[in-house]
Amino acid sequence: MLNLVFYFQVHQPYRLRHYNAMEINKNHDYFDHRLNEEVINKVADKCYIPTNALMLKLIQQCKGDFKIAYSITGTVIEQFKKYRPEVLDSFKRLADTGNVEFIGETYYHSLALMYDTNEFLEQVDMHRELIRREFGYDTTTFRNTELIYQDKLSDLIRDTEGFNTILTEGADRILDWRSPLFAYKNYSGNVNLLLKYYKLSDDIAFRFSNRGWAEYPLTVEKFVNWVEQLSLAETKERNLFLNLFMDYETFGEHQWEETGIFKFMEKLPEHILKNPYLSFATPSEAHKLANYQQETLAFPEPVSWADEERDLSAWLENDMQNNAIEAFYELLGKIKAKNRLDLLEEARKLSTSDHFYYMSTKYFQDGDVHKYFSPYDSPEQAYIYYINSLADMEERLND
Amino acid sequence: MKVLMFSWEFPPLIAGGLAMACYGMVKSLLELGVEVDLVLPTKEMVYFPMKKVEDADTLPTVFLDPEKQKEYNRKFLKKINTKSETIYNTLHERLEYVGANLKPETYISGLELNRWSQVFEKIHATKIYSQETEFVEEKIWENLQEHLSGDEDIYKKVQELTLRAERYVQELDFDVIHAHDWLTYPAGMIAKRITNKPLVAHIHATEFDRAGGAGNERVHSLEYDGMTYADRVICVSKYTANMIISRYYIDSGKIRIVHNAYDVDDLLGVKKDRIFKGPTIIFLGRITLQKGPEYFLELAKRVLDAHPEARFIMAGTGDMARKILHDSARLKMKNKFVFTGFLNRTDVEHIFNSVDIFMMPSVSEPFGIAPLEAMAYGVTAIISKQSGVSEVIQNAYKVDFWDIDKMVEIVNYLIENPDECREMGDRGRLEVQTIGWDEASEKILAVYEELVLDEKE
Repeated sequence: MLNLVFYFQVHQPYRLRHYNAMEINKNHDYFDHRLNEEVINKVADKCYIPTNALMLKLIQQCKGDFKIAYSITGTVIEQFKKYRPEVLDSFKRLADTGNVEFIGETYYHSLALMYDTNEFLEQVDMHRELIRREFGYDTTTFRNTELIYQDKLSDLIRDTEGFNTILTEGADRILDWRSPLFAYKNYSGNVNLLLKYYKLSDDIAFRFSNRGWAEYPLTVEKFVNWVEQLSLAETKERNLFLNLFMDYETFGEHQWEETGIFKFMEKLPEHILKNPYLSFATPSEAHKLANYQQETLAFPEPVSWADEERDLSAWLENDMQNNAIEAFYELLGKIKAKNRLDLLEEARKLSTSDHFYYMSTKYFQDGDVHKYFSPYDSPEQAYIYYINSLADMEERLND
Repeated sequence: MKVLMFSWEFPPLIAGGLAMACYGMVKSLLELGVEVDLVLPTKEMVYFPMKKVEDADTLPTVFLDPEKQKEYNRKFLKKINTKSETIYNTLHERLEYVGANLKPETYISGLELNRWSQVFEKIHATKIYSQETEFVEEKIWENLQEHLSGDEDIYKKVQELTLRAERYVQELDFDVIHAHDWLTYPAGMIAKRITNKPLVAHIHATEFDRAGGAGNERVHSLEYDGMTYADRVICVSKYTANMIISRYYIDSGKIRIVHNAYDVDDLLGVKKDRIFKGPTIIFLGRITLQKGPEYFLELAKRVLDAHPEARFIMAGTGDMARKILHDSARLKMKNKFVFTGFLNRTDVEHIFNSVDIFMMPSVSEPFGIAPLEAMAYGVTAIISKQSGVSEVIQNAYKVDFWDIDKMVEIVNYLIENPDECREMGDRGRLEVQTIGWDEASEKILAVYEELVLDEKE
């Protein structure tokens, strides 16, 4: 059996406004509330509301055979509550179907794992609490920000947090000759790993509307045919997993409605389920379904799902990014040492990975994607506003 | 005394110190009864006749073409006939109308370029050189056309202004021509060539200063042509005069030194309104090689090792801003080295009220007005010895721009002895009040008078 595992990432950062150095010690508001509200409204209308309605309809139509998973960050849930509570309600209705898994991650969609283990664990706890509170769901699967994974993460989240499955990228340099369709184990053999099948995931998420792509237009029939070809050898007993991981904003936002992305998704489950060897599963089910000896995979260096390199270079490559993030964790340490809870929440909003993404200077093919997602004119601007915000926060710390 | 003045900038069009220097100078000249017709690189062919002190702020505008003047009057007359305050309020609107922008909107056209060679042919045809300099002058006119040719926007704008000089001198009446820096020298030269009126070439910065090295050879040539053809060369410092003699071989007999000045605003008080609680050190100016931004960054790095509570502000923009920003990140300055970007007048006031130490580590600074401004706010200044301003002030620390050890030592000392830092700032504040444009303008007027008297003899 080949199980399609859909996991969708739902996230919006708190974007910083053009915070000038002249405002330090005068104005302590770092965030562009108008822009953040505008984005939430725009994406709610184009993506979250119609896509949630579609997913709910599909789950109901398939009578339990269609399953999906979401990872929803704390920063986006807070903004839903503030600007569009009905979006959160629609996720709750999806949760009530019992066919939706919620995945654990850092509350602030941060890179804390790389810099501050305690902060990382605190943010994971905060997120777990949030998902329990909002959806009554106890998370057992984990995905780190941007699918960043390396060996030490599996130890941390298993020993300290009790997760049993982790999602990450099916990076070629790790898999080598292996297939991402198998469920693997982490290097010490006690946590399940599900690896993104990046080709088919990205066919939907990135290439769907690309007229320059040889396979354009991507029809459901064509896609299902590809999936069936993958599973030809697997009509026996083994349970394999086709892990289709993508940003939820793929639907209606990155791929506009006019591209036919909703119609594609609407027809997909029924076509998949026609084939007796194909079905849907959630990440946590893989744990029980994997009926073969799972190979262990070592990830000595971190991988991510970003760009061609599938490493951390989108966030932590140039001098600006490195200085900014080091300055941040140094400041966060001081805030905690002084027990300044009044500053902690705001500070943590600055831990979101997007802030460092905006500072990326990778201006080739991938840089275009960076530019598309950035609210600033240049990486330098993003850096300046970020550093200015940290400078002001440090002044407040010394009040 | 009537002056035809060519400048590339004048407030509110400000790119660098030139605009503020011209403004201070013109205002004081007006006070002395001198009348100034100012020509700027505008889109429309206009000039700004100034007779009274307020005119330096309101910039009365006259078109050479009477039809265009009528149109302009129709649009603005109602506003012009009211109080000068209103005139000032419409200033930006009026300047936009005449196309006075820092980035010029129009450039010379093919049709005008034809006229270009005609003008030069005429010049070559009438050889009216003075006997002793005939050889040099002939060579200058031969070379000028070549030095001025070029398709870059900046050259095309200079060509346009140069050609227009012919029209301006036909319409205007004046005793002396005064041109500021190389961009306007060719216009001044044409004006002198046609009218035989004396030319004053004012040098605010040479290409050597701007480039922090040899720089552009064509610009050198135009600077040389202008200063050689001029009857007097006004240098903003001894430092510059020395450079003019040693690098441009200008006769010292026609050089006059008039230091720039700074008129302290009467309303100015010292009221500290801090940005950072810790000791704050600022660099304010164009972020370009000439100003030594890299020395400031290096200094910051080393001061922070001893005084992590110190904070550094880099204010301004420039071709090296991006490099300095990346370097500051590479040096892991954390959140202790911030960039403000371009600052308007209000921002500059705020920032000088919020800092303790002003650094000007310029590699080569013909004058350098910013330290005077900083001092007016009681900020302690540390300035490069390679600057003109160091010749006129006593109450500031003077260091070779390359001597970072010394700069670090001084800044650390001032941080460790805040009382002394404050006292130095206070002394500097009082000293700046004695450096006004009135004295400088008297010297400039003396230069004019000397020339006009020569004429009559």
